[in-house]
Amino acid sequence: MMNKNHPFHLVDVSPWPIMGSISALITMSGIVKWFHSFNSTLLFIGLTSMSLIMFQWWRDISRESTFQGHHTFIVTMGLRWGMILFITSEVFFFISFFWGFFHNSLAPAVDIGMTWPPKGIETFNPIQIPLLNTLILLTSGLTVTWAHHSLMENNFKQATHGLLLTVILGFYFTLLQGYEYFESSFSIADAAYGSSFFMATGFHGLHVIIGTTFLLVCLIRHLNNHFSQIHHFGFEAAAWYWHFVDVVWLFLYISVYWWGS
Amino acid sequence: MGDPVEHATGLEKRELMAKVAGNENPFDLKVIKRGPGTKDKPNEIPSAFDARLVGCICEEESTSVNWMWLYKGQPRRCECGHWFNLVHKAPV
Ligand SMILES: [Zn+2]
Repeated sequence: MMNKNHPFHLVDVSPWPIMGSISALITMSGIVKWFHSFNSTLLFIGLTSMSLIMFQWWRDISRESTFQGHHTFIVTMGLRWGMILFITSEVFFFISFFWGFFHNSLAPAVDIGMTWPPKGIETFNPIQIPLLNTLILLTSGLTVTWAHHSLMENNFKQATHGLLLTVILGFYFTLLQGYEYFESSFSIADAAYGSSFFMATGFHGLHVIIGTTFLLVCLIRHLNNHFSQIHHFGFEAAAWYWHFVDVVWLFLYISVYWWGS
Repeated sequence: MGDPVEHATGLEKRELMAKVAGNENPFDLKVIKRGPGTKDKPNEIPSAFDARLVGCICEEESTSVNWMWLYKGQPRRCECGHWFNLVHKAPV
């Protein structure tokens, strides 16, 4: 019996929102525990449950869109607005870290030597790894656009190549950032500089990891023929997110790495 | 990569096929302009069901919408005097 003749997607009950929230809380508590007592067990539990939930949530939505055809035009408009509002909230999230950075750096307090970087802080050379990372992210913005245009032109092979390259560049960025953190002469405990530096670049790095994961999910979905010329909003959302991460890096590079050193 | 309409399934596919057939508004989501609305020529409201909730903007300057249930086979008159009739339309 037919009981629906409208384009809206009335979703089924799902455990993932509440379970995702709980695992995010476990992860956050795990990070605090790791920072304070050098014990990463809780963090591991949080990240593991988070990964499992992400896998199943993504799987459910892929089923709803690709295999059940629930994503009509108006549904994708809702997804678009959701992503736009989410990224807007992310912009303000990062604004607060930049605010903290400029608050501390534009009029350095006497406690840190009335100078920025503070007395005794040896900053990174902005034209070494940070510049390379800038080039990597700019290039990845190019490759993700290449992948998008290939999708719109029904070119499976080039879409695969573009996406794969983007994922590799994202992973390479994370690798270099990890190396830079490892080599760092200061830590998050080094007063105003350490706090603002690691808070801003650390959350950016987390976003690069999330964005790379999002693009990797798109690559796997693409290899399984989930996308068509006109049905690939999952990919577009990942691309929007990736551009956002890219722009945040440009601001970080210019103000924190370059001007701030 | 295949044809996008062939790639789609379910409601998404039926919406796309309506579009291919030239129907950009398969779910009748847009406002229907009232016709004469007399007893002989009532405003025809499409529905795939036995009843549909109709919202009438009685006057052009109305600040509210007048809602009423319209049942199949029972033409009904809004408070403003316009007649409405439910006509069957196959679901998308
Ligand atoms: Zn009326």
